[in-house]
Amino acid sequence: MSRMRNDYESTLWSRIEKFVNGEEPEQTMKRKKKSRASYEQVKREDVFMEDILLRMERREEESFLEKVEEYGEKRRVRRYERIYRILAVFLCFTVMAVLLVTVSYLPPFGNPDNPANNEVIERYIEKGLQETGTVNVVTGMILNYRGFDTMGETHVLFIAATSVTILLLAVSEKDKKRASDRSFEPKNDIILQKAAKVLVPVIFMFGIYVIMNGHLSPGGGFSGGAMIGAGMILYAGAFGFAKTDRIFNGHVIKIAKISALCLYVSSLSYYFYTGANGIENHIPLGTPGNLFSSGLIFFINIFVGTEVACTMYTFYALFRRGGL
Amino acid sequence: MEWLRFIAAAILILLGLIMELIAVFGVYRFKFVLNRMHSAAIGDTLALGLVIAGLIVMKGFSLVSLKLLFVLFCLWVASSVSGHVLSRMEVTIDEEDVHKNCEVQE
Repeated sequence: MSRMRNDYESTLWSRIEKFVNGEEPEQTMKRKKKSRASYEQVKREDVFMEDILLRMERREEESFLEKVEEYGEKRRVRRYERIYRILAVFLCFTVMAVLLVTVSYLPPFGNPDNPANNEVIERYIEKGLQETGTVNVVTGMILNYRGFDTMGETHVLFIAATSVTILLLAVSEKDKKRASDRSFEPKNDIILQKAAKVLVPVIFMFGIYVIMNGHLSPGGGFSGGAMIGAGMILYAGAFGFAKTDRIFNGHVIKIAKISALCLYVSSLSYYFYTGANGIENHIPLGTPGNLFSSGLIFFINIFVGTEVACTMYTFYALFRRGGL
Repeated sequence: MEWLRFIAAAILILLGLIMELIAVFGVYRFKFVLNRMHSAAIGDTLALGLVIAGLIVMKGFSLVSLKLLFVLFCLWVASSVSGHVLSRMEVTIDEEDVHKNCEVQE
């Protein structure tokens, strides 16, 4: 059992916790209480009208103290703002200078000896099929040769999606209850529902086809996931969220999203680990052109597709009803 | 035979282009929203159908024409329904304008 420290109130952690919980720090609260108490005291004395001099003294003292406090805080804020501005301008000019110097060192455009025209592209085209087992060399490039870069990109996308979700979830309860245009829009449109019933399976099939054939034909996880997300959005728009929530609610989305991301990162990390240490990775590449070929790229495409589809549907749900 | 096929395909495609031109003309010429939606739907359905029919006649019946028919089916379902939904939204939102210009059943 852990015990709360005696001086817990004054530790850094308790102050952080109070800040996170939205409470005011101890010191300012004390200060406010004190000043109010003394003010009321003064008022009570005012009724008796006994020692006016003392009261006036006190009041003066108090207002003077408050002024000093305010002045100090203001001065601190002003100093901070001045330093902030100077630093911002300084940083901007530094970055500008560094970039301009770098630009002047760049090789001329279109020169055949430029570092961009090296053996890398040749290697991709000549040995891509043999080494990665993908007929579609672009997929083999972005998920195998340049997997590290793709993983960074995916992380950027994921962080952006997370921050947008946080911003959209920050809606107060009052705004949610307020009548919006949503309540007036036509619901249960029979024509749209029939069309959705015809189109949604086709869209799902096509999206799954694009994801599964990412290593054989143009496509892959990102585009196929976007298609499946669009199909889900169409279904939710036609039949309302009550129907989609039966299968595809926030809980399922959370599980699918997090497991897809973890599996994606771990399977790519396996590639990184074996590649960086020069170990055989023991994943059979299969015959190029088959569905189950090209090692982990097939599965990575599926994970990425799941992730993208869930993100698209989440955004639609957030904009439409302000929550999952 | 080749000549006949080419002439039929050309007539179909030209008819489709004329319909598309009529649709564009209507979209820019009409003032009321639902009229404009109507003429836009002409371009979405009739013009598209005629052009794809012309292409099918030109290519003969093969896998490509089957794919073209599939594209035509998807676009006919999707674009006409989207036009319907948009028009219904317009009727819901802009009651004043709609009632001034036409009779709408509630």
